[in-house]
Amino acid sequence: MLDQIKAHLDRLRASGATYVDCRWVPSEDANALTMWNGNLKQAASSRQSGVGIRVLFQGAWGFSAASDLSDLGIVFDRALENARIAAERVTFPVRLAEKDSVQDTFISPCAVDPFEVPLAEKVAFLELLDASLNQRGVQQRMSTLDFIRKQVHFADSEGSEIGKQIIEVFAHIGVRGVDPEGTAHERTFRLGRRGATRGWESLDLDHFRENAERIVSELNQVLQAETCPVDDRSVILLPGIMFLQTHETIGHPLELDRILGYELAFAGGSFVTLQDFGELRYGSERLTARADATLPNSPGSFGYDDDGVPAEDNLLIDRGILVGAITGRQMVEEANAKAQRIIFPESSGANRATAFYRVPIERMTNINIDPGCDGTLDDIVARTERGIILDGDRSWSIGSNREQFHFACEIGWLVEDGRVIDVVKNATYKDDTLRFWNALSAVGDASTWEVVYVENCGKGQPNQVMQLGHGIPVCRFDDVRIGE
Amino acid sequence: MSDRFLETLSHLRVYALDKPCEIAIFYHEEASALMRFANSAVSLNTTEHLIRLEITAFYGPRRASYEMITDLSEPAELRDGIDIAAEMVKHVQPLTYTPTVPEFRESFCDEAAYDPALAELSGADKLAVFNAATTGLETEAIQLSGIFSNGANTIAQITTRSPHTQVFRTSDAQVTMVLAHSNKKWEVQAEQSAQQLLDLDPQALREELGFLVERFTHDPAQQLPLGRYDIVFGPAATATLISFMNWIAVNGGMMKRGYACLDEAQIGEQVLSPEFTLADDPNRRETYPQRRDYMGLPRTPFPFFEEGIFKGFAWTQDDADEFGAEPTGHTVAHKSLSLSGGGEDVGTLRALAFVPRDGDLLYIPFLHYMNVVNPTQSLVTGSSRFGALLLKRDGSIVTPYNVRLTQRILDIFGDRLAWLSQQTVPYNTSSSYGARNPTAVIVPRFMRVNDLSISHSNPTF
Ligand SMILES: [Zn+2]
Repeated sequence: MLDQIKAHLDRLRASGATYVDCRWVPSEDANALTMWNGNLKQAASSRQSGVGIRVLFQGAWGFSAASDLSDLGIVFDRALENARIAAERVTFPVRLAEKDSVQDTFISPCAVDPFEVPLAEKVAFLELLDASLNQRGVQQRMSTLDFIRKQVHFADSEGSEIGKQIIEVFAHIGVRGVDPEGTAHERTFRLGRRGATRGWESLDLDHFRENAERIVSELNQVLQAETCPVDDRSVILLPGIMFLQTHETIGHPLELDRILGYELAFAGGSFVTLQDFGELRYGSERLTARADATLPNSPGSFGYDDDGVPAEDNLLIDRGILVGAITGRQMVEEANAKAQRIIFPESSGANRATAFYRVPIERMTNINIDPGCDGTLDDIVARTERGIILDGDRSWSIGSNREQFHFACEIGWLVEDGRVIDVVKNATYKDDTLRFWNALSAVGDASTWEVVYVENCGKGQPNQVMQLGHGIPVCRFDDVRIGE
Repeated sequence: MSDRFLETLSHLRVYALDKPCEIAIFYHEEASALMRFANSAVSLNTTEHLIRLEITAFYGPRRASYEMITDLSEPAELRDGIDIAAEMVKHVQPLTYTPTVPEFRESFCDEAAYDPALAELSGADKLAVFNAATTGLETEAIQLSGIFSNGANTIAQITTRSPHTQVFRTSDAQVTMVLAHSNKKWEVQAEQSAQQLLDLDPQALREELGFLVERFTHDPAQQLPLGRYDIVFGPAATATLISFMNWIAVNGGMMKRGYACLDEAQIGEQVLSPEFTLADDPNRRETYPQRRDYMGLPRTPFPFFEEGIFKGFAWTQDDADEFGAEPTGHTVAHKSLSLSGGGEDVGTLRALAFVPRDGDLLYIPFLHYMNVVNPTQSLVTGSSRFGALLLKRDGSIVTPYNVRLTQRILDIFGDRLAWLSQQTVPYNTSSSYGARNPTAVIVPRFMRVNDLSISHSNPTF
């Protein structure tokens, strides 16, 4: 198969294509199990295989994909034909940043392949999770396990050949209850990074049981709580909402394709402009953020992106100043040309496709915030006059240029004079993105830093779901409107 | 139509009959094409041909499924899929109820919503539509983005219960055009949903884009003061709100799982405005309807609200099995939601802009990134996007920066609903995650809702 692919790469180059690549996925397996109130509502497995071909012709992209590999030549020809039509309307001919030709393989860290674990064992594990949630005050209990195993062979007309085998494990538990006014509330826990591998071995029942106890107890506190007041307070974000704040208002606005207008028809643009790199004060001095695809053991670390560029640890915001973006080979060339200066010396290796039948686009890797010097969560609370601690992502809604946002949380704890006083329900907060990050007044130390896995970041047309990570500390932001 | 896939399904059924469990086979074939525009160029031109086979095994109260994206020329691999599903079902935990196995009493084939001319529209044809709709509107600063997605979907089903099959075939297209000013950052949009080639109307797109570009080029821009406004929503915004109703209001399973704003006691009650009549109407071809559900139940118009009175929940077979309800023919990938038009004769944006008015009207065509803040309270939040206009009482027009609304849907469609246009349009709500599933909602061209508050107002575009 690889020989056939290479012959077609050469053939299309000879037909006038300036660049061709092929991602052949011999198999991508998934296994999704959902238990709801003791019922195994979903026991689903899937397998997909196919090829995706990307062709650059006279500065325009064509793409074609098929699951039927009986005539590979047709799939290559269709991609070239699509590029020829696209070449009729070109305004900025696509160029690709230089990269080295690579022959390598990447295997994600895994001790026990979850696809080798018998289904009955997985179901038994879910039953134990469900039992741990079956407690007073809980009306609905949910447990999910999601496993992915994909094999990808990448080859391009510049001589790169890269093989990847990636295994992902995602797990989630949640409980719902109803307060005396009849309003439903939810408390959830998702498995983050633990240890050096993320195979079946990362599902530690004791860890889930501890968190089940905690979320059930917190749900019961919320059910009895007063409603979050409308107020301006310091908000202290725990990892269960801090990851999403980082994702939506640092990650997405710093995708270079968004900044260059490639997502304007759907996902939106970015308030960031090319002039801002090196100048914009994105946040306070305490904020240092990075796209780190070298972070060990995370879905945002994948060896090489789908341009064949190696993983990088790339600074995005340096002590508050915007310095970098999430980039691929095409966009860095266009950005540098449009800015008439070298902002991005090379691709940062963040161009990824969700499946063989989608085209790679700029995706988050691990968008992390460096731990700070403001101590533990207790230290931060002790130094907060009027605040609220928030956790859990209940809803998120962000402006189309990521310039403002509204988040609802599962739980809030009011803080007065350095002490936690009350739990509140229906906690929300909203702000302008830049004002908010510039109001960052405390960043927790390494004891507060966690890596949260995200299994379902959506982007692009056609839509693509991507897996990634966020390493984030507890952070405090001042004078934020809550309760609206 | 090629019968190859039906033959394959029949052979697979015969193979499945030897298994101790029952098997349902769901075939999905998509031919998808998408031309994407950005910065006035074609940024991507794709075609995908994908065949999915989902095999569900039933064994009393046990159920498991296996899906493949595959190739019909590999019969051994397809049979493996049946083996895998049949093996999985042995090891799953029994449900607390017995799921119903689909059973087709006769073969059924519906190709009424299939137009090969639309499904097979070439890249060159799509480019021509975009060029016609934007003639004279693009400049160095005003640049075109958008998508033209078109394709065909074939769904076929067979089960071990009978040799009969169900086949559904549709063609669809979604056109979104955005003109955005690269420095000033305003953006305007025009969209169309098509089921057949004749539904495409580049001139109408040109007319709407031209009107909006004129406004955003010449009328003053403004940050709106926070406060309460009478708002006219366009089709995209109304369709988004209706889609949220479908999710958190009329879905029986969601109600039983504590994620809904209506309950069973409200059936028969006046819960929304008398202007509000919403049905699932599979007779509307523009919605890519399925006139049988995946259990074989005939689908006929199903009222959710009649003049504001709540008529009942939609029950999929699985939710009905679990909660002891009667299935309502809603075991489908998408409904055919249709919100009836009202009494106001306003069919175009130009007509809306120049209609006499008693106060300022804020026109919001599109709600970006809406999410549910609190399902029980029907509280949602989202921001305006794509060409909002403040139609001033004195007849002048201001182009406002984007604003955020955080509101209860039951208020929007309840006391606050002032009027709906007589004219209705299909709005394409297809998501392109996973398998192609063309979906459109029929909505009035405009909907006026009074006294809604804006909770955030941007200081620039
Ligand atoms: Zn995302």
